[in-house]
Amino acid sequence: MFKNPLLLLALAITGAIALWGLVDTAGLSTMAARLVGLQFTSRAWFIMLTVSFMLIVSAWLALSPYGRIKLGSDDEEPEFSTVSWLSMLFAAGMGVGLLYWGTAEPLTHFLMISEYEDERRSAGLALFVTNFHWGLHAWAIYALTGLVIAYFGFRRGCPSLLSAPILKVFGQGRWFKAIGWLSDLMAIVAIAIGLGGSVAMGVFQVKEGVEALFGLTPGGGGLTMVIFAVLCLSYLLPLTMDLSRGMAVLSNTAMIIAGGLMIFILLAGPTYYLMGGIVQAAGEYLGGALVQGFRTFTFMDENVGSWFQSWTLTYMVWWLAWAPFVGVFIARISRGRTIREFLCGVILVPTAFSILWFGVFGGVGFYGLLNDGVPYLEVLQENVSGMTFFVLQAFPLHQLTIAAVVVAAFLFIVTSVVSAAFVLSMFSTGGDLNPRAKVRLTWGVILGALGLVMILSGSIDAVKSIIALGALPFVFIVILLVVCLLKDLKAQGRPK
Amino acid sequence: MTISHTLDMILNLEVFAFVGLMFWLYFKDFNGKAGKGSKDDGSDRN
Repeated sequence: MFKNPLLLLALAITGAIALWGLVDTAGLSTMAARLVGLQFTSRAWFIMLTVSFMLIVSAWLALSPYGRIKLGSDDEEPEFSTVSWLSMLFAAGMGVGLLYWGTAEPLTHFLMISEYEDERRSAGLALFVTNFHWGLHAWAIYALTGLVIAYFGFRRGCPSLLSAPILKVFGQGRWFKAIGWLSDLMAIVAIAIGLGGSVAMGVFQVKEGVEALFGLTPGGGGLTMVIFAVLCLSYLLPLTMDLSRGMAVLSNTAMIIAGGLMIFILLAGPTYYLMGGIVQAAGEYLGGALVQGFRTFTFMDENVGSWFQSWTLTYMVWWLAWAPFVGVFIARISRGRTIREFLCGVILVPTAFSILWFGVFGGVGFYGLLNDGVPYLEVLQENVSGMTFFVLQAFPLHQLTIAAVVVAAFLFIVTSVVSAAFVLSMFSTGGDLNPRAKVRLTWGVILGALGLVMILSGSIDAVKSIIALGALPFVFIVILLVVCLLKDLKAQGRPK
Repeated sequence: MTISHTLDMILNLEVFAFVGLMFWLYFKDFNGKAGKGSKDDGSDRN
C-alpha cells in the first residue's frame, strides 16, 4: 500500500485538507470561498460553455452513426434488462440531494426571483431554474464521463482509470503519462471532497428529521455527532467485506422509499395543482434549457451574480466532481449497450425523474405559500435542512413519512460512501477491481474526516465552497477525456 | 492595472491556452500512436 506514490499523495492531500478543516474550520471555509469566488468570477463563461458543450456533444453522438457503436464487442448483449438498467439509473440519480433540496431549492430561487418578477411568474421560473440545475446538463456531464470510461474499458481494453484513455489515445510519452497521473489524482481529490459534502448534508438532514420525529429542541450539536458516529460505524463495517450485492439492496430500498414518498405526496396533496405544475415546468424546461446553459447573467446586478455563483456554477462543478464516481457506476451497468442507448437512457430518464420530483415537492411548497399563506419562506431562511420535514408535517401520516425520509437519507449516505470508498481505492491502486480492505478502510476514514470538517463548518454555503474548490480543476480533465473519446472515434472511423 | 484585473487576465489566459491545446491535441496526428491498434470491433477489450 505504501509503495504506491499516487495513493500516498492522494491520501496526503485529502488528509491535509481534512486536518486543516478540523483545526481551523472557519479558516478553510473562508479561504475556499475566496478562491472559488475568484475563479467563478473569471471563468463563469468557461464553466457554462463546458457544460453546454458536453450536452451538445452527447446529443450529436447519440444522433450520429457513432451512436450504433456497442460498449463491448459487436455481438455482445446488454448485461442487464432495460427495465433493471433504467431502475439502476434512477438509483444513481436519486440521492440525498434530492431529499434535501426537494422543496428548499425551488423556494430559495423563488425568494430571489420574486425581487425582480411577479410572485406567480416567479414560482414557474424557480422550478425552471431548479430543473436546469438537476436536468439535462448535469446528466450530460455524468453520461459523457461514463461513456469515456465504458468505451475505453469495454471496447478498447483499458483499465477503469481516467488516465487510461489519455495514454491509449496519445501514447505513453512522458508528458502524457504525467497528465494521466495528474488526472487520476485530481479525480480522487474531487470525489473525496464531493462525498464529504454529501455526508455533511445527509447528517444535517437526518438530524433535523430525528428532531422533528421526537420533538427535540433544535440546535443540539451533540445529536449531530451521535448521528455522524452511527453513520461512520454503519459504513466502515461493509468496507471490510465484499457486500456489493447488499449495498445494491440498500440503495434500491432507499430509492423505493423516495419514489413511494413522491407518489404519496402527489396523491395526498393538491394533485391537479402538482400535475399542472409538472407539465408546465417540463414544457418551459424543454423550451429553454439550451439557452439557459449559455446564460452567464453578466448584465445583471451583484445580487443576481452572487446567486448565480452560489447556485448554478456551484452545481455544475459539483456534478463535474461527482462525474468520475457516478461515471464508473453507470459504465459498469451499461456493458453491451450502444452509445445511443447509453446516452439517451442516462440523460433523459433521470432528468424526467428530477422534473417529476421537483414538480411534486416544489409544487407543494408553492401551493402552501401562494394559496394557504404557509410561512415556508421564514422556515427556509431559518433552517434550510428542516424544510422537507416542515412540509411533510402538513400531510397525514407525517410521523411515518418523516421516519421514511430519515431512513432513506441514511441509506443513501451509507451506500454512497461505501461505493465511493471502492471507486477511490480502485483509482488509487492502478485500477485494481478488488482493492484490499486496508485501502478501502483508509478511504472510508478519510471520507469520514472530510464529512466531519464539512459538518463542523456548520453551514451549507461553506460546504458548497469547499466542494467547488476541490472540483474546479476537474473541469479541464473532463474536457480532455471528451477530446480523447472524439479523437479515438474519429480514428476508428464511422461504423458501417 | 489592479491586482484583481491581473488575476482575471491570468485565469482567462490559462483557459485560452487550454482550449488551444485541446484543439491541437484533437487535430495533431501523434505519428501512428493515435488511433492505431486493432480496428474497433471490440476485439481488444479485456
